[in-house]
Amino acid sequence: MSVKGTLKTKWFWYSVLCIVCWGGWTIFGKLASNEIPASTMQFLFPFGCLPVVVPLLVSRRFRLERNAKGISYGIGNGVLAGIGGFALFAAYRTGRNTAVITTATGMYPLITVVLALLLLRERLTLLQVLGLAFAVAAFAIFSM
Amino acid sequence: MHMASWLLPAAVVLLTWGIVGLLQKLSTNYLSAETALIWLVVGYFLLLPWLYPARSVFAYSTRNLLLTMLSAGLNTLGAWALLAAMKNGGKASIVVPLTALYPIVVLLLGPLILKETITRLQGVGVLCALVSVFLLSS
Repeated sequence: MSVKGTLKTKWFWYSVLCIVCWGGWTIFGKLASNEIPASTMQFLFPFGCLPVVVPLLVSRRFRLERNAKGISYGIGNGVLAGIGGFALFAAYRTGRNTAVITTATGMYPLITVVLALLLLRERLTLLQVLGLAFAVAAFAIFSM
Repeated sequence: MHMASWLLPAAVVLLTWGIVGLLQKLSTNYLSAETALIWLVVGYFLLLPWLYPARSVFAYSTRNLLLTMLSAGLNTLGAWALLAAMKNGGKASIVVPLTALYPIVVLLLGPLILKETITRLQGVGVLCALVSVFLLSS
């Protein structure tokens, strides 16, 4: 698809909205973490999710699929994402550079790829191998 | 070698969110992405007893409390937008690496809003990290 064509698609603009929102999430999180401890930040976090989740629930008329495995994975996601969120705010509170911390923690697909490789027996593409090499270089630089 | 103080919590983020990436894949095998998002927030709530603050939250400035809520709302809205992009014809192989570039917003707005600048070496690290995320998500 041409660039002009892509600019007319809905998915592109939803993706841009996602980037802007996640950029805002990290910047506002950093600003607030200057005063509020990481654990309190993460305590408040789920309440801030409600203005998005409640309309989503209403639009689905409170009907959710009931699959025990799916629900367990979903809740497990929330618990782990919450622990990760707490650690992110703790990293911000160290006062080190926000852009560096945000970029370093944004490399989490690295772990996903390695786990998928080990647990789901997925194979790495050549591009992903190249991605791993760049990740190792980034970690080496950030550790200096 | 001196280890930067932020590296340990950052490693926890990488590990936990890395597992989340895998579980997300597994959860959406059984649930719609929207339902998975709702259960994820339920998981956030389950952590509250461990995170219960020793000090009243109202002891902090209203500005920073609002920023925290705004931060959480934007995080969830971003997750919803990602789902909407995929629902509206965006291929996961394009949308996921594209949206993984959100640290660019921090890089662009950091000097303006946070009054932070990065060194040349950190800039190289950031560039390597962005390229790695883009390639790993592809």
